[in-house]
Amino acid sequence: MMAPVAEFRSACSTEEAVTWLAELGADGCVLAGGTDVMMQYARHELGPAAFVHIEGIEELAGVGRDGVVRIGALVTHRRLAEDAALRTSNPALADAAATVGGWQTQSVGTLGGNLCNGSPAADSAPPLLVADATVELQSRAGIRRVPLEEFFLGRRRVDRRPEELLTAVEVEPLGSRQAEVYLKVGRRGAMVVAVVGLAARLSFDARGAIAAARVALCSAAPTPLRVRSVEQALVGLDAALPGWQDATSPSLRDGIDALMHAVSPIGDLRSSEAYRRAVLPGLLARAIEICRARAGVGVPEG
Amino acid sequence: MTVAVGRSVARSDGEAKVRGVADYGVDVVLPGMCHGALWRAPVPSARVVSIDAEAARRVPGVLAVLTGADVENRPTGISLCDQPLFAWPLVRYEGEPVAAVAAETVEALEESLGLLRVELAETPAVADLASALAPDAPLVHPDWASYASLSGAQWPRERNVVCELFSDTGGVDQAFSSAAHVVEDTYRADRQYQASLEPHVAVAEYGAGRFTLHVAHQFPFNVRDRVASALGVRPSEVRVVGHHIGGGFGAKLDVSLEPYAALLARAVGRPVRMENGRSEDLMTAQCRENAVVTIRSALSESGELLACDFDVVFDSGAYAIDAPYLASMPMFAVGSIYRVGQARVRCRAVYTNSSPTGAFRGVSGTYLVFAVERHLDHIARELGLDRRELRLRHLRRSGEKMLNGQTLADADILRECFDRAEELAPFSSLGKGPYRGVGMAACVWLTNPLAGSAVVKLNEDGTVGLVTAATDNGSGAVTMGLRQIAAEELGVDALDVVISMPDTDVSGYDAGSQGSRTTRVVGMAVKAAAERVRERALAVAADHLEISPADLELAAGSVQVRGAPSRRLQLAEVAKLAAAHGGPITGAGSYSTPMPAYAPTCATGLLFPVFPTPTYHLHVAEVEVDPSTGNVRVLRYIVVQEVGRVVNPTGVVGQIQGGVAQGLGYALWEWLALEGGRYRQRTFESYGLPLSVDVPRVEVVTLEHPDPESPYGAKGVAEPPVVPVAAAVANAVSDAIGAEINCIPILPEAVLDALASQDGAGARGVHLSRGGAGAEAGGA
Ligand SMILES: Cc1cc2nc3c(=O)[nH]c(=O)nc-3n(C[C@H](O)[C@H](O)[C@H](O)COP(=O)(O)OP(=O)(O)OC[C@H]3O[C@@H](n4cnc5c(N)ncnc54)[C@H](O)[C@@H]3O)c2cc1C
Repeated sequence: MMAPVAEFRSACSTEEAVTWLAELGADGCVLAGGTDVMMQYARHELGPAAFVHIEGIEELAGVGRDGVVRIGALVTHRRLAEDAALRTSNPALADAAATVGGWQTQSVGTLGGNLCNGSPAADSAPPLLVADATVELQSRAGIRRVPLEEFFLGRRRVDRRPEELLTAVEVEPLGSRQAEVYLKVGRRGAMVVAVVGLAARLSFDARGAIAAARVALCSAAPTPLRVRSVEQALVGLDAALPGWQDATSPSLRDGIDALMHAVSPIGDLRSSEAYRRAVLPGLLARAIEICRARAGVGVPEG
Repeated sequence: MTVAVGRSVARSDGEAKVRGVADYGVDVVLPGMCHGALWRAPVPSARVVSIDAEAARRVPGVLAVLTGADVENRPTGISLCDQPLFAWPLVRYEGEPVAAVAAETVEALEESLGLLRVELAETPAVADLASALAPDAPLVHPDWASYASLSGAQWPRERNVVCELFSDTGGVDQAFSSAAHVVEDTYRADRQYQASLEPHVAVAEYGAGRFTLHVAHQFPFNVRDRVASALGVRPSEVRVVGHHIGGGFGAKLDVSLEPYAALLARAVGRPVRMENGRSEDLMTAQCRENAVVTIRSALSESGELLACDFDVVFDSGAYAIDAPYLASMPMFAVGSIYRVGQARVRCRAVYTNSSPTGAFRGVSGTYLVFAVERHLDHIARELGLDRRELRLRHLRRSGEKMLNGQTLADADILRECFDRAEELAPFSSLGKGPYRGVGMAACVWLTNPLAGSAVVKLNEDGTVGLVTAATDNGSGAVTMGLRQIAAEELGVDALDVVISMPDTDVSGYDAGSQGSRTTRVVGMAVKAAAERVRERALAVAADHLEISPADLELAAGSVQVRGAPSRRLQLAEVAKLAAAHGGPITGAGSYSTPMPAYAPTCATGLLFPVFPTPTYHLHVAEVEVDPSTGNVRVLRYIVVQEVGRVVNPTGVVGQIQGGVAQGLGYALWEWLALEGGRYRQRTFESYGLPLSVDVPRVEVVTLEHPDPESPYGAKGVAEPPVVPVAAAVANAVSDAIGAEINCIPILPEAVLDALASQDGAGARGVHLSRGGAGAEAGGA
């Protein structure tokens, strides 16, 4: 039997969108760029009574700055990759955005959609997690703010009620003597869903040793996740010492051990579980190396 | 000086394709057209217990439901007649057609397919090559012994082995027993999907006792013959009209949807359109086959190859298709480029309960050359020899024979390939630096000799019409090559050569777009046809100008007096004069390449005995391996290719670049794995084609040794560039990591495993390549 054709409503304001969402409840489906939704609809994975199209809501498409960086839900990956100010304040997010699908996907796919879709492979999640992101959810009942770490509940499950619209994500910009990076593993140079992804934001002390670390992953567990045990293990690591990346160097090895404990990757069509585990140590080491170079600490050649 | 040949003449269909107005197979719409689709088996091995089509037939808008019970269902094929139209009563692969439905709308069609009740009793599947060869294996075709071959030819086959080739020069075992070194390797390759952007599509109509099929097909005459035999009618009762092809690469050489569209059209009395969905297309495309190749070589102390034992088992899938022919291919992979001493070759094509495999650009050459060239690198490593030197020492010379007894008259071109590559980039200078490596691979390839024909006519406005059933599958062989040859012969601008689309009612026979044959074989036919037109045009003009034809020439759209070009007649005038004096000017030409001599007793099961019009190829790849991820980046790619004569520089380079891209996909990214006879990858999300960001600029050196038997010396160009790519890349990757990579595709996981085993005791060291780049999958 053919699924009944869904109604299409295009909202002009947040107000209008949340009114409709309240009215529709579980029968409504938010439609932003549609790069996830339309594929799921075509595969009959969802059959909403109505789509609430939100791309026309201008107030959700801005980037603001007031101590924290506030990124509207409708900001596209292409904008995240290209925006000069964002590239400075949140370079790992720009790294990640530039790896999402291809040019076309980046041009219509939105940050809000990437998070609300709840994929364990969402590329924007690790960089947002290391920036201590908070998501803002709005409904007719008011505004609810949820730390991103608590927003992800499970595979394809997020802490958003059907009547809520994700309006913005607030993130910490990079501080001084901090650097961050997002590394994504995939077989091709573009158009790949992450086999695993790793973001690191590292603070260095004056000597160039790691003073504080934040590390987050995607495609390594049922949800994107922060790995605090790894973060603790990395503190004090002096990546300026020769041979630091040698697996016998205490902190890196502890970091890797913690990493391997924290993850629970699966095997699927993209990769085996063993491969996902096998690439993680190298990714962590490389992330540290790149952060050091980006922070400009202790790099002889600059 | 030439006016057209050797120039980058633009393709005649280029603008229409770029503007999106070219008429592809998927664009065909006929008045009153309805839609057809297949109910395909969801399991690889089963017995059809019953089909209840009542509910499916009752859906409003459904016009016909056909099953194996409604048709004669006679088995047909292009080699062995083993394939019925419908799985009835046996299902032999997942995706096999069980029923065909026609309906007014796509929606009604889908609903009807959903309501078809097919009761299947699953049977144990012959899931892979090893189980197919097991002595107690279930038979994919319990009736195998009763099948007839299309040509009447017989060949060794038994149970699940659909063809066995065997060849032995003698002396192999003695050579092994006295050899200083023996090196043995086993290589594996998975399947590859042709992945043309346009899926299989067919529109059929039936009226006045004849079928007309609109297709985007590489081989319209094969569609005619295959549809006729499946439906039990004479070939002349089937007309096949070709449209622009959105890619074929071999997947559109055999029939796919066409017989079903024809059946449905006859059943409903209206035109029926069928189109594969992407997953359907992938699952039934007759992909390049998976295979296992074992090579054992006997060597002297100094590394001279004394003997070779070469064993191939490949997967034909559920039906023979062209596998009995492909079983001969090892005869052209072993002992063709390099002398191997005494040789024993065995190749078995095996039935399994998986989707049938078939033709794909380069066919089995890709993995056979991979095996041969990887093995040479392994030998060099074992014996501490230089890899290039080892090859040069064994390189065939002109006048030497391949294992089939065919003489390679011009094999010295091989040495030239190696020399030219060395001039461009010395082999020993490449692949330097951590995790970098270089590899090379060579091959000889054929130009398909099968028949073609053309009619050339001088139009009344002085332009030239070219009528042929040769198809342009995107390569430009017709829209550039044949037009250029006609233009050159008749001294007109190539833009003034108007070509027809293929139509089996209109044109003479053509053996299809395969094996790089069109420019050479059909080019000969065009040349012969154009010569007739030229003779007649000169004669007509000579009469009119009252001068001997010998004093006339064709140039710049005119017939002119040699040495006095101002005395001339425009071709338009010549055409009009001719009409009044003996009739319009047309010429016909036909050609097929004579078969080279070979030794028929060299093997049993040798159905594809020769490599006519051989060309020679050397590829060099330089790669960098990311030691953290096992991903491979191709830094540099060099092709030295013998082409006979460059007819169109843009076309030649384009075909070589495209072939290399396809070969890189095969080597590194495209993965079509079977599990229990079923494909794991079923969409472009999991089946990863190479992207522009992954493919390097390909450096192309063409060698020109014109073939006196060819139009302007041109030999086949377009098929072979895919053949040695996986071999060159795998050698480069093995060089980069110092470990043998023996499977295609080269999965990052295998690279990491090989690296880990290098570290000893499987220690998971942290590998960092210099500069820290590589893992960042840069977007656009
Ligand atoms: C070819 C292709 C390649 C891709 N590659 C990648 C990749 O490399 N990495 C990656 O992470 N993703 C990838 N994706 C997935 C997708 O593009 C991203 O997740 C994208 O960010 C989704 O954004 P969207 O605006 O298109 O979301 P939609 O498809 O419109 O929505 C996604 C989900 O979020 C909900 N939603 C959207 N916006 C809101 C909101 N403001 N409030 C509440 N709910 C909302 C929708 O209801 C839906 O459930 C790819 C997709 C395609 C088609």
